[in-house]
Amino acid sequence: MGFLEKQTDPTTPMHWRGDMQADYFYPSGIAGDKFFRHIMENDTFLATKCSKCNKVLFPPRLYCEDCFEEIQEMDWIEVPSTGTVKLYTVVTINAHGKKLEKPRVIAFIDIDKTNGALLGVIRTNDFNKDFLGTKVKAIFKQKGNREGTLKDILYWE
Amino acid sequence: MEKEKKSWPPYAPGTHVKESDIREKKLTYTWWEPEVQYSWSLGHAMSKFIQGLKTGKIYGIHCKRCKRVIVPPRMFCEYCFGPTDEWVELKDTGVIETFSISYLDPDARRIEEPILVGVVSIDGASPKHGFMHYFGEMTKDEIKIGMKVKAVWKPENEREGSITDIKYFKPLKGGDD
Repeated sequence: MGFLEKQTDPTTPMHWRGDMQADYFYPSGIAGDKFFRHIMENDTFLATKCSKCNKVLFPPRLYCEDCFEEIQEMDWIEVPSTGTVKLYTVVTINAHGKKLEKPRVIAFIDIDKTNGALLGVIRTNDFNKDFLGTKVKAIFKQKGNREGTLKDILYWE
Repeated sequence: MEKEKKSWPPYAPGTHVKESDIREKKLTYTWWEPEVQYSWSLGHAMSKFIQGLKTGKIYGIHCKRCKRVIVPPRMFCEYCFGPTDEWVELKDTGVIETFSISYLDPDARRIEEPILVGVVSIDGASPKHGFMHYFGEMTKDEIKIGMKVKAVWKPENEREGSITDIKYFKPLKGGDD
């Protein structure tokens, strides 16, 4: 009897386990490529300034997202790698829900002299502090070890 | 190409990315491999089927009302919705029901030598009852619908309770059975 047969062996019902390969590949694009190649060699950022509305786009883009003006070669400007914390959150678990050994402070940092912002990790040991409005500075990896991704910024402090 | 001046949307030249550009790091990019795992609960019928494969047996299940031997087995008959009745041990031979000559591997990469895949109706089960598998020891010109085939099993110590415990189905020649 199949259906009415009594299940006595707890090892009989099985699960089929597997991994799904879902790699994610994101090329930086023309503006992004220029930005990341710049931070590979320098400790500053690049931004683009719209010649029509004077908005400083950061991360740099090839056209202004407000007035759709095309960015020219001369519109690229160098901006300092400093900023102000606009928002932050203290993270205690990783992406898989496992508890982190040490909490991490993830902040939304308004980059100085631009109208843009970046997400970054703030290096700190004080997790009860109010970081809003704190001035922070990007600490990069050593030159030569940089790979041209956002991970070249180790943390902010 | 002549640069076209448009007010909106602004002209942006397209850039073609070659695989070699990525390999030679000609462009910057972000690469991320997420850890995505799944666990599929096999249920009673498929568990028995999978464990049968581990011991080198193909199990079907009999529905007495419809007089049907179903493979892969299920706990209920989808014709009469009644519970299935009895486990049946089937032969590891069958007939090619459909097949494909595939120039893509399971990861959709192009391959030179095609793989042969298709549905095998298992002997002992009702007609047109079977499952998908690979075909081997035959060329793409030899394979045809209605061909008698026999399972080629992995060595017993390598079997892990998976449909791939059968390596492939090979042509069944007289005297093989």
